Amino acid sequence: MTYDLSMSHQSPTTKMQAVETTTTLKSVTSSRLVRTLVAGSFAALLAGCATDAPQDTWQPKGSNARMINDLDWVVFSIAGVVGVVVFSVLAFALWKYRDRGQPIPEQTHGKPALEIGLTILPALILVGIAIPTVGTIMDLAETNDTECIVNVTGQQWWWEIDYPVQDGCGGIEEPIVTSGQMVIEAGTKVLVRGTSRDVIHSWWIPSLNGKRDMVPGRIHTVRLEADEPGIFAGQCTEFCGLSHANMRMEVIAMNSTDFAIWKANQVQDYVAPVAGSLAAEGESTFISQCSRCHQVDGLTDSNDELIISRPDQNVWSGAAPNLTNFMTRNTFAGASWDLLSKECRPGVWDASPSTIGAAYLDGVTDSCLNEVELREWLRNAPAKKPMYTDPESLEATNGLVRGMPYLALSEDQIDQLVAYLLERK
Amino acid sequence: MAIIERPTETPDVTNRGTRPAPKASTNYGYLRRPVETTGWRSWAFTVDHKKIGIMYGAVAMFFFILGGLEAALIRLQLAGPNGTILSADKYNQMFTMHATTMVFLFVMPMAAAFANYFIPLQIGARDVAFPRLNALSLWVFVFGGVFLNTSWFLGGGADGGWFMYAPNSSVPFSPTNGVDFWGLGLQITGIASLVGAINLIVTVLNMRAPGMSMMKMPIFTWMAFVVQMLLLFAIPVITVALFLLMFQRSFGAQFFSVEAGADPLLWQHLFWIFGHPEVYILVLPSFGIISEVLPVFSKKPLFGYPFVVFSGAAIGFVGWGVWAHHMFASGLGPVSVAVFSVATMAIAVPTGVKIINWTLTLWGGKLTFTTAMLFAVGLIVQFTIGGLSGVTHAVAPSDTQQTDTYYIVAHFHYVIFGGAVLGLFSGFYYWWPKVFGKLLSESLGKWNFWLMIAGMNLTFGPMHIIGLQGQPRRMYRWTEFRAGQGFFNLGFWNLVATIGTFVLGVGILFFLVNIWVTHRPNSKTPPAPADPWDARSLEWITSSPPKEYNFARTPQVSALDEFFHRKYEDVGEGDKHEYVQKMTGEEVIQFEEDNADPNIHLPAPSYWPMVLALALPVMAYGVIYNTLLIVAGGAIATMAMFGWALEPADAEASDFDPPVEGDETSKELSNV
Repeated sequence: MTYDLSMSHQSPTTKMQAVETTTTLKSVTSSRLVRTLVAGSFAALLAGCATDAPQDTWQPKGSNARMINDLDWVVFSIAGVVGVVVFSVLAFALWKYRDRGQPIPEQTHGKPALEIGLTILPALILVGIAIPTVGTIMDLAETNDTECIVNVTGQQWWWEIDYPVQDGCGGIEEPIVTSGQMVIEAGTKVLVRGTSRDVIHSWWIPSLNGKRDMVPGRIHTVRLEADEPGIFAGQCTEFCGLSHANMRMEVIAMNSTDFAIWKANQVQDYVAPVAGSLAAEGESTFISQCSRCHQVDGLTDSNDELIISRPDQNVWSGAAPNLTNFMTRNTFAGASWDLLSKECRPGVWDASPSTIGAAYLDGVTDSCLNEVELREWLRNAPAKKPMYTDPESLEATNGLVRGMPYLALSEDQIDQLVAYLLERK
Repeated sequence: MAIIERPTETPDVTNRGTRPAPKASTNYGYLRRPVETTGWRSWAFTVDHKKIGIMYGAVAMFFFILGGLEAALIRLQLAGPNGTILSADKYNQMFTMHATTMVFLFVMPMAAAFANYFIPLQIGARDVAFPRLNALSLWVFVFGGVFLNTSWFLGGGADGGWFMYAPNSSVPFSPTNGVDFWGLGLQITGIASLVGAINLIVTVLNMRAPGMSMMKMPIFTWMAFVVQMLLLFAIPVITVALFLLMFQRSFGAQFFSVEAGADPLLWQHLFWIFGHPEVYILVLPSFGIISEVLPVFSKKPLFGYPFVVFSGAAIGFVGWGVWAHHMFASGLGPVSVAVFSVATMAIAVPTGVKIINWTLTLWGGKLTFTTAMLFAVGLIVQFTIGGLSGVTHAVAPSDTQQTDTYYIVAHFHYVIFGGAVLGLFSGFYYWWPKVFGKLLSESLGKWNFWLMIAGMNLTFGPMHIIGLQGQPRRMYRWTEFRAGQGFFNLGFWNLVATIGTFVLGVGILFFLVNIWVTHRPNSKTPPAPADPWDARSLEWITSSPPKEYNFARTPQVSALDEFFHRKYEDVGEGDKHEYVQKMTGEEVIQFEEDNADPNIHLPAPSYWPMVLALALPVMAYGVIYNTLLIVAGGAIATMAMFGWALEPADAEASDFDPPVEGDETSKELSNV
């Protein structure tokens, strides 16, 4: 290895260059102009985000998500600026000091003053981020302003949602139990109280708030508030086993009139199918095949006694979705499939805030039912959504299934059940 | 192979190796001493830290490829909506085993490979403090890793995610034996890490060459030392957690049974108190590697060496106080969240200090862009991106939007692939000639580097978008209904990420090709020069590859960057500096060999580490299948411990066949 040792000129530049670094760093970070420019280009980039990804975390549709988003902007901008500065300095150094035959540089081990300065600088930036962060954490934990309480219970792989009796939510006199879709009034501060019946799940409606784990044996809360009526998509985000990918949920916000109609409808008395109809046959099929796990409020057996599903018999999770008002919801099986046909779906999902409440309240009609997938589900549920129902693998759980097993229903029985379910609204 | 000291001998270093190896005649314990100098036995029973390091590296590389194939399957499954390549069950196993393999069976052992090989060389020692324990670490890791992966053939891998949250890890929710294999396998590899950590800590503290104070210690050794301290305290925590899990699943305990009053958050705290220091366990070795590489190719000492050392140590301490940032959505309550949020930001400072110091090391230097240097610079850039996205989720409210989405997957791959893996590759290229005596091809190396950089950014870059667009992790499929349509739609970027994976794979393939091209039979690659990079630290003051005893003479250390200062002299006056080469690297090495130590003492090989290591998976299979196997494994372990204890550290003269008689061989170091 040879070195050009003839050059006796030495590099006093080293010290100068080190000083340059400081000035570069300081001048850039303190420059409002550059900061604005970077934030601006970031904004331009993000404008492209304004698409239809329903779980976009950067499109807040309520006060809580907006608090987070406001913080995001500050943090991402600062991170962006720091990134640009670091990479500029690095790129400059890589270009400027590439080996062009210069002599061996001074063997300096550092400049303590410069290093202390460059340690304090990031510390100060982080203090600047920490202050608003702590404030937002506290604001998001506030529960004194709650106007409506809704309970959620996670289980493999769907959410049960219930409204306890309360003065909030515009008054709930009789508990409401539903699943998969939470209906709230727009502009109301909702407190979600959640737990789980089996493993840990996480409740996340990105456009309304961050996520909160729902842990068995504990009750956790999270605030929700929607600015205006709409459907807000969410998904379980804590890995919860086999069908974690198929555990979704929605929040439907509507105006107070529509919300009152929805509440009243949820607690209507059971209306039995007309005797002799296909739906009536469906009722008896439902009683024999489904009611062991699925509750339909008001359904009675041949002795005129109320049928209470006894899910503890064979379902580990402890329950299956309550189907009393099945067709008032528009997704099923952990909100993983649409109850609305492809043709009818946009009429509800893409409705404007002023009409979405009414469209949702119309429920799923005969002509709008996504019959194909509902039938597939009834035919062989575990084939459509992986669940722990294979008899051979249930030894470890003493035969307890989690999820809906294969029931070997005949096509006739499926016809009857579809007819029966269509009336559950 | 090792070399032992005979009584009344003077070493004749130059003549060594020309004579046939002596044969063993005496038994110790229950087995004869494995004194072979060639063949597989010379590797399997060695206690030489260099051979152990190489084997650590080779096995880790195998697991890297395995984990990479698992990653490829994951990305293929997610390339489009409703992927069908893997079933939900297989997919869950795949991401669990991908993470487990990469963390526990690739990055940690690969870092152990570097630490094993280079710590003794960098501190001027002849071996580690406890050579047989070192062999035990290796074999425990190897058998533990193999045990873990046999689950694939015995009912499927673990399916609870590498974080294995309770109660999803309990039998009712994960009825196959996958989680048992996982928990037991990691207990076994944990023993390897713990034993290795104690060994290397003692080595660093007690076996440094004369003159090498802690603050004259090469920076890689410093960072590896901090890692061993972290391991010493982190591994017991995860072991406790795994122990509870084992009792939960196999012996009817109810540590995580909610119906019996357990709180599932117990597991999360235990796991992350281990899990966060683990992150630093993964990246600090690579920080150490590039802190060696950058100065060498900048012809300048590491800028702010004490700052880098202390920031590394600070990370080692503060790293214990940030675990709950993995649990911001767990419902800890606002005060805990606020405290951990601020603590997490605090740890960004020492990390930032490192990036600043690396940049200032380059500043004013004389930079040559070898492949090792490219990987080192690549680490700075990629890790900085990961660090910045890290700050965005130190902000707890933002994190509740980001956690468990692909944004986090993007973040930690920039940190761990960008931080740890690129650093390891930098180390491969930098130290390859030291370890194997040949330089890897630089042109293939450049292909290797640029394809890996392009591949990793194509793979993990889009995950920022996918995550912020709301795609959660650990989903075996995604649906078009939630994908969106615009520029940031999930479909397009998922596809890009999958394509990126294959670019990344080809990049890594170039590394394997490079090894083949360099070392294949009839390879035209010449032996590497003794000092190919004009290096600065102690490990280069010996031949490449180093002899069994590392240094002909224990080096005397008078400066940080000892090797540089032996080669160059500052003839400038006052503030002016001018460096004149007074000796070449070869001359320095020759000088050392000409003044070889009269007596070199090294320990002899042993069967017992491997036998003891073998007992552990036997016991682990016993926990899963049959209690009698636990007893059998315990018996083997007991026997091995007694054999180990009764075996003298050195092979005696009577171990050799025929015994040395009169002629000049008795005056030489003998190969054992």
